[in-house]
Amino acid sequence: MPANPVTYTAFLNADEVRAVAVGRRRRERAGAFVVGGGTAVVLVALLVIPLFLIHSLLPWTGLAAGTWQRLGVLFAGSVKAAVAALVVAVPIGLATAIFTAHFGAPRLRAFIKPALEILEAIPTVVLGLVAAATLAPWLKTNLATLLLAVIAVPAALMAGGLFFGAKLRRRETWLPLWLLPLLLVVVAAIVAAFARSDQPVIAATTPWNAVLIGLALGLAAVPLVFSIAEDALTLIPSTHTQAALALGATRWQALTSMVLPAAASGLVAAVVLGASRCIGETMIVLMASGNTPLFDVNPLTGLRSISAELAIGLPEAAPPGQSYRVLLLAALVLFALTFVLNFLAERVRATLRRQAGTAAHGL
Amino acid sequence: MSARFIRVGAFGDAGTWLVAGAAAACLAAMLALLIVLGGAGAAPFWPSPIVEVQTRDGRVLLGEIVSRSDDAIALRTSEIDRIGTGYVRVAPKQFIDSTNPDDAFVIALTDGRRVFGRGDAAAADARLHEMSGADADEILWPNAVGFFARSGIFLRHVSRFLGASSTAAPLGGGVLPALAGTVTLVLLMSVIVMPFGIATAAYLHERRGAAAGLVRSAIGNLAGVPSIVYGVLGLGLFVHGLGADIDRWFYSDRLPVPTFGSGGLLWAALTLALLTLPVVVVSVEEGLARIPAGLRAGSLALGATRGETLWRLMLPAARPALLTGLILAIARAAGAVAPLMLVGVVKLAPALPIDGEFPYLHPSRQFMHLGFAVYDAALASPDAVRGVPRAYACALLLIVVVVALNLTAIVLRNRLRARYRALES
Repeated sequence: MPANPVTYTAFLNADEVRAVAVGRRRRERAGAFVVGGGTAVVLVALLVIPLFLIHSLLPWTGLAAGTWQRLGVLFAGSVKAAVAALVVAVPIGLATAIFTAHFGAPRLRAFIKPALEILEAIPTVVLGLVAAATLAPWLKTNLATLLLAVIAVPAALMAGGLFFGAKLRRRETWLPLWLLPLLLVVVAAIVAAFARSDQPVIAATTPWNAVLIGLALGLAAVPLVFSIAEDALTLIPSTHTQAALALGATRWQALTSMVLPAAASGLVAAVVLGASRCIGETMIVLMASGNTPLFDVNPLTGLRSISAELAIGLPEAAPPGQSYRVLLLAALVLFALTFVLNFLAERVRATLRRQAGTAAHGL
Repeated sequence: MSARFIRVGAFGDAGTWLVAGAAAACLAAMLALLIVLGGAGAAPFWPSPIVEVQTRDGRVLLGEIVSRSDDAIALRTSEIDRIGTGYVRVAPKQFIDSTNPDDAFVIALTDGRRVFGRGDAAAADARLHEMSGADADEILWPNAVGFFARSGIFLRHVSRFLGASSTAAPLGGGVLPALAGTVTLVLLMSVIVMPFGIATAAYLHERRGAAAGLVRSAIGNLAGVPSIVYGVLGLGLFVHGLGADIDRWFYSDRLPVPTFGSGGLLWAALTLALLTLPVVVVSVEEGLARIPAGLRAGSLALGATRGETLWRLMLPAARPALLTGLILAIARAAGAVAPLMLVGVVKLAPALPIDGEFPYLHPSRQFMHLGFAVYDAALASPDAVRGVPRAYACALLLIVVVVALNLTAIVLRNRLRARYRALES
């Protein structure tokens, strides 16, 4: 057969032409079968997770007394870890996305986006190691330093904006790089000022607490929140911003009055997806939370999450046993929780994308 | 009027600085992370100076400083009996003076112990002779050598770490088995995931409608499933389900010793393939979507069928996107540890999953993994002073591999975009 499928040489007779056509049709069907089959496997893969978990919990024989309380404590631990992480990830992730999408120079954007992709690619076991081995000992004696930095740095930034913002407004597209050394100086000064204090001002009962989890898991969630939020913000047509600017608004006013309301649902989706990621994350929580099953909201105590319980318990649990079933139930809870969060967020994002599509066509 | 205008603008500036500061904080956190990792990951290979500390109660301690705080100085002195027995804490009020004697040497024994002493080569031999039943791995005089000699020692340590196999000594030996396990695992995973990922991406690109929407949302949801849940699935369905069945049918003579019925390379690769499927689908589909519609329409107009267009035009044109998907999947899989803990990763495997014996690849074998080595060395070892630096060294190696893969993917993707922009114009 000729190598090129669309070339017919004139001296083929009708039978040969038919043979070629039949062969092509057969290959076409086989190709469609392969593509469809491969896709079906993907669908099955999604369905098989909940079906398997439910199937292995059946026949339902009930659970030992106290199991639900135990699961409740684990659930609370997962939620506590996620909330702590979101307290860090949402402000930083959203603000970075807002700056990158609305203020930043294109070249800055071309630098920040891959940088955050690299951050997202850093394995969580490495972040867990840094949290457990380096951050935890520092945080043990420096909780007050952290608190001060959390208050002082934004205050310093806003003061800087109030006094020097008008002069630097033309350069604001590269502002993060200008602020980076300033930020490092402020943080280094705060850290150095408190480094020699013998007695910690705020004493946590354990170095492996929710604050530590918040920092490490939050850093892991920042890239996800950023990328979803940035996606939502760039979907807003730039004509919105241009119209606001033409009417005399500052960039900030264009942001708060036009862009943020239009992109609000996408930003909520970013937060929800970040929450879903944090609830399911295993290695950081396993390595840096102390894994103590506690039921309290104090950020200075440890926690034990569903995912950490699975990682610790399942290798030892035997298939038919009660503890194995409890762990599978925990996995089902985790799956259902993240599934609902993802589903909602994806619906919101799909709607937003469709609206952006119609808006672009309407213009 | 004008005063009010200035005030409003200034408020906006404060907000702008705040969001810019958050972006800067993001970059700063990343820089700090990389610096910590680079420093702590390379430190274990650098020959540390030997100090001689005199204390008020008349002791003279020879060893390496492990940590220094306001409360105490922690030293690692000679480990005469067992590994991990040489740690000494010196309180500040006990401390008189410390020196770095030029003739101090350290003997690293093959069982992982470190023994210190002073003197020339003959003294070192005598010291080694006292340690009956152990051979010397290397003898160093770190205080006497200069920067370049230390760099040489550093490089030798690095190459031994990368190239040597693990030893039975806790936290001893190199990471070659873990590296080999990781590479074999991700390669097997890629072979499994790529056909399905490409098929799904092609389906999504060719079809519109309810079925495609369903597949699309399935992909979105699969991407959001926590990795540990994939591990649970791998353990319950593959290991305890399929694996136990395979054992019953084909390896019944070996039961109750499990062959495929316990965690192993194949099940781990399958689990990771499920985990990385969305990554491949999304990036391949993006690549297909970026091909100008005119190319596809032209091919169809010339009489090529959809399958021929896909196979001979679209997939070759999207080759960089396929590569990007593969690289991102490998990077994701190399960093996934939680699911592996359930499906066959071990801290010390008796044999590599790939070797010279037929059938060369042993899919039922348990394996070692770089990411798990990080977790294991950091938390599961009783000797934290050795464990944490080793964990950092493994983490640095892992990061180098993953970041290099991701950078390649990013560069490829940018090239792809540039190429199609050129095609369209």
